[in-house]
Amino acid sequence: MIRPLSDLGRARDETGEVVAVEALEGGMVEITARLPRLATTARPGEFAQLRAWAGVDPLLRRPFSVAWTAGELCSFVLEAVGAGTRLLVALRPGDPLQALGPLGNGFHLDPVPARAVIVSGGLGCAPFPLLVRELRQGGCADVTVLSGAATASRLYPAERFRRGDDAVRVVEATDDGSQGRRGLVTELVAGACEETAAVYACGPNPMLAALAEALRHLAPPPERAEVSLEAPMGCGFGTCLGCALPAAGGEWFLCCRRGPVMEVSQVDWPGLLALPPAHVA
Amino acid sequence: MNFPDLSVDLGRGLILPNPVGLASGTAGYGFELRQLIDLDRLGALFTKGTTLHPREGNPPPRVAEVRGGMLNAIGLHNPGVDHVASTYAPEFSRWSIPVVVNVAGGSVEDYLECLDRLERAEGFAGYELNISCPNIANGLDFGRDPAAAGRLVAAARARTGRHLMVKLSPNVTDIAAVARAVEEAGADSVSAVNTYVGMKIHRGIRAPVLPGRGTGGLSGPVIKPLALAAVAQVRAAVRIPVVGVGGIMDADDALEYLIAGADAIQVGTATFVNPAAALEVLDGLLTAGERAGVSRLEELHHPTPSSSGDGLALSR
Repeated sequence: MIRPLSDLGRARDETGEVVAVEALEGGMVEITARLPRLATTARPGEFAQLRAWAGVDPLLRRPFSVAWTAGELCSFVLEAVGAGTRLLVALRPGDPLQALGPLGNGFHLDPVPARAVIVSGGLGCAPFPLLVRELRQGGCADVTVLSGAATASRLYPAERFRRGDDAVRVVEATDDGSQGRRGLVTELVAGACEETAAVYACGPNPMLAALAEALRHLAPPPERAEVSLEAPMGCGFGTCLGCALPAAGGEWFLCCRRGPVMEVSQVDWPGLLALPPAHVA
Repeated sequence: MNFPDLSVDLGRGLILPNPVGLASGTAGYGFELRQLIDLDRLGALFTKGTTLHPREGNPPPRVAEVRGGMLNAIGLHNPGVDHVASTYAPEFSRWSIPVVVNVAGGSVEDYLECLDRLERAEGFAGYELNISCPNIANGLDFGRDPAAAGRLVAAARARTGRHLMVKLSPNVTDIAAVARAVEEAGADSVSAVNTYVGMKIHRGIRAPVLPGRGTGGLSGPVIKPLALAAVAQVRAAVRIPVVGVGGIMDADDALEYLIAGADAIQVGTATFVNPAAALEVLDGLLTAGERAGVSRLEELHHPTPSSSGDGLALSR
């Protein structure tokens, strides 16, 4: 069944101050801002609607997973792909950053699984540093991150998944073999799931669809399998009805309220693959 | 200093505590925004366009941003009139914000059946007839043809004693003619305007971003000058109240609509950017009223010789 609507009761609109903007190799940028309310309420997989400009162009906020929290600080990982993200990556420490959140349904962590396999494709890394920490703090002894990208410079650095927790295993794959195993990250899933595990994934739709297919043949089946999705989004809180995605069974669901994290079985994968990439809009 | 009285009587029992409403299609049925803002402070909630049967809406992508605005092709995604009447309306009756149910249809019969089913419910203050949704087949016909619009409104008038507002389409040759037709047919007020038909082209895929015909409804600050002109035209054409809507982002914008002749306004796309946008518009009007020392809303936008006119300058 479709997940329940997310709780909007925790969401607040908060204006904080950027404290760090770190450019990673390959174009990804990690922005850290003082957003005390969001930092203390966001759970892994939830997102915030960000805005860091005055005026009406760009008009709409941009949705980003909460990548990391530390005290009053909150981090987001993004890349300049359009007008809004270009302005966000150009932020400097001291600049204001407005965040509405936390929004959406995050990853299920109740109960915390004994084993977790995280499948990350490119910028799909965004929700996972926080998920890794919450899994580990919740008692998950065995966390493996399968991290894939087109080429080495596009891999999110393994250390940023671990953030000092050396017990977290990171296995990398690149399409061109420039780092880690040559091939698709989804080809690593069967090997990582020889024992029953919870699977959490985020990345481009073709990667997630390939993962969904791989999971169907997995023995033993995963304890749970969840994906974080994206869609062109107007408001982020369920009133514009713009972020519809195809659900298994033929209906639409709103990415912002039912998702962005969905169970693999709830998604109409052929339907999702037929859509243009989210940033086209 | 007297706190200004901002209430607006739109007629036939629809009295807004203040002129700032939430536009149809940008506030759902209020349940999301209630969790984010103090909804009951606002003047009115105009619901999502509601149809006889539930509608799943259009395939994605449904929204696309353009410079200073956005396009939508939601396709009247809504739970259907029975759900609104049986489940939502009882909730509305517990709220102090007046709720106006926006009704959309493909035929006169659709609209009338919607009204009949809603008439049995309590909890809302009136109807806004959406004769102008650009995103469903035939949805524009009533809005384009003054005679057809008049026939629809006359039939609807015969079914309800509640307030009947008609939301006008700007995608017409002569909006004033449609406004006059619905006034003569018994509409209590008009709202102007719905979204403008627009298109966004993606050069990379060499095709429109939105699916199907590729068009959507354009909203946001980019349409404000167009919508202001439409409001002024409608104001000159009818005696019934006019509710202005189109690209209002702040209290200055709202005041411009009041000056153009609107009796009340609706905040739409701004809510997507900032869920508290309508409240900020209201607070801006209150502040302007207090500063100008006015006691009623009209004095704010129709300055008399005795008032300095400073109330017009909300921000410089």
